[in-house]
Amino acid sequence: MRGNGVPEFREDLLESISNAPGVSGGEEAVRAILAAYARDKVDSLEIDPMGSLVARIAPQASNGAARRRRAGPHVMLCAHMDEVGLMITAIEKEGRARFRRVGGIDPRILPGQAFRIGPSGVRAVVGSLPPHLVSRPDREKVTAAEDLYLDLGARSREEAEAKIGVGDFAVFDTTYEAWGSVRKGKAFDDRAGCAVLASLIQKRPPVPVTAVWSVQEEVGLRGATAAARRVGPDLAIVLEGTASGEAPGAPRDEQYPAMGRGPALTVQDRSLMAHARLLDAIQGAAKRHRLPTQWKRPGIGGTDAGRIAVSGTGVPSAVVSVVCRYIHAPAAYLDVRDAQHTVSLVWRTLESLRKEWP
Amino acid sequence: MSPRSSASPLDTLLPSLSEAYGPPGRETGIRRALGGAIRGLGSAKEDALGNLNLSLGGKGKRVLLTAHMDAPGIIVTRVDPAGLARVSILGIVSAADLIGASVALNGGGARGVIGWDRPKDGKDSREIDPDQLFLETGLGGREAAKRIAVGEVGALADRAERIGELWCGSNLDNRAGCAAIVAALKGSGSPRRKAAGSPRNELHVVFSAQSDLGARGAATSAFGIAPDVAVVVDVAFVGESRGHGDIALGKGPCVGLKEEGYLPHPLALEYVKRAAKAARIQPQWLIRESGGSDARTVRASRAGVPTALVAIPARRTGGPRTLIHAADLEQTVQLIRQIVTTPYTGEKGSR
Repeated sequence: MRGNGVPEFREDLLESISNAPGVSGGEEAVRAILAAYARDKVDSLEIDPMGSLVARIAPQASNGAARRRRAGPHVMLCAHMDEVGLMITAIEKEGRARFRRVGGIDPRILPGQAFRIGPSGVRAVVGSLPPHLVSRPDREKVTAAEDLYLDLGARSREEAEAKIGVGDFAVFDTTYEAWGSVRKGKAFDDRAGCAVLASLIQKRPPVPVTAVWSVQEEVGLRGATAAARRVGPDLAIVLEGTASGEAPGAPRDEQYPAMGRGPALTVQDRSLMAHARLLDAIQGAAKRHRLPTQWKRPGIGGTDAGRIAVSGTGVPSAVVSVVCRYIHAPAAYLDVRDAQHTVSLVWRTLESLRKEWP
Repeated sequence: MSPRSSASPLDTLLPSLSEAYGPPGRETGIRRALGGAIRGLGSAKEDALGNLNLSLGGKGKRVLLTAHMDAPGIIVTRVDPAGLARVSILGIVSAADLIGASVALNGGGARGVIGWDRPKDGKDSREIDPDQLFLETGLGGREAAKRIAVGEVGALADRAERIGELWCGSNLDNRAGCAAIVAALKGSGSPRRKAAGSPRNELHVVFSAQSDLGARGAATSAFGIAPDVAVVVDVAFVGESRGHGDIALGKGPCVGLKEEGYLPHPLALEYVKRAAKAARIQPQWLIRESGGSDARTVRASRAGVPTALVAIPARRTGGPRTLIHAADLEQTVQLIRQIVTTPYTGEKGSR
């Protein structure tokens, strides 16, 4: 716990969930880590029928016990556990594994990339034609994902099938590292949000909170759609790891949001118009506690908040993000100070909602 | 303004609604304008999505009458060193159609006009990328950077005017539908009793938000109200329908038979047809392959809601303004008035 009553960002947790595999539809390993962490911190913990992890935690009463009566709005905090990856679709006679992408992976980054397949993490590399066998005009082109394959060093179908199977997921073979304030790892979209959410439940929150670590966000915001119906919150704040806009050579005013400049707030993306009054409450909390914020570029991307907002009779919703470079790629970067600021900002917002939200 | 036989309450209502600020998700101005226009008709409430829900009471089947109040706008993505605000489009409108539009920005209250970067080769193209658009506010680099923030939302803000038998203005999709509902509820002279009143239905009216972002507001309102039948009021553009030829301006309101993601429920369709007959209105039939209204999310709400669509014919000017025919609007008012005073007899879940 930090001196000012704000929970501390749990970097240890970010490291372990970043390293764990969790492609959309196969989030079990990540969920197990989060469930073990959350169990003794919350009032109830369940896995819903879609696979999302749902934890309820009542606010603190003055005598330290859980407060029974309603104190402020019931807030759903949501971060998705799943990451983009690959799924094995066929194993060929020569031992090669064909795959399809799960979620948005840019085919430009695939050739030569190392992956870990299945729960046991069988290693493989994405193979493609050697340059001297590629025609000159084709060398300038990106190889379509359909023409690539995973090579696990097997010489036959039998040898490959002893280790992997059709339907297995594959994740980038990347290990978490710390370089100064920068953290490198895979799946920061959205393990950064998952770790921020986990950090927030280290003590009883100022308002009733239901924490949802959702599934299948990258393939259509599915887990949160079902969870929102189940939870029926008064408000929702979605915690994300979002793409940095830093691009060398681009005009300065286009290079936002940027890593290290604080949590990014969403006004609008393809799934959501952020609720104006909730956004005001977040900005107000940032101002009062001198926390840095920046804008996410409007008009692009989409998050679970879009589905939560239109659930039932509607839920005022907003998104607070840790800005990451190179998301949906083998190794993303984030600044650990941004992660702490995100924890602080959401905590301070919850404090203000207890007083201000009708 | 051209001379006309009689003055209509729509003469002031329609322009005031057309000119109100209300891009999707930021419907502040239009919600206020509609809230004022319906004062005294029932209890009105704003919900989480920004919908304005009006409950008029009454006994009988629960009837939902809904029109979306949001209209396309822009959102600022950055302000360049020259002071031009770069924008992204909010809602369903093409970049080409926005060129030359007057825009009112919320917050700082700056106004501007949409311009575009012409291709360097000098060729004009109607295939314009939204990245080519900018908002010129006349503020200059430093002042623009100070007064215009990323995420600020702008509404189309041309003046509404009467041209012959036509109304011309920004945002008539779907402020025309909103105006028709308000005028129908207010009735000719005595409010409530005559129109919504002595109601043989339990009437709910929703002016929905965020329709242009995917019929979001109507979905949550319909979920909350759980109506027995719903009638969606919107506009339909000439050139969209493949029904009996095309729809036309001045030939009366349309009744929707098909659009993207929506087919009318037979009982709801029958309900509207019966009302049209009683009001001596021959509707035009609307069949469109793409594009749609709130009808698709209302129809799919909960276990399904029998839903019909009434649409006012409109013409795009190829710019930020829309044309509708005054007679179509008047007839739509009459049709809606007849619908809400006709008891709905269909059984819930009978198909």
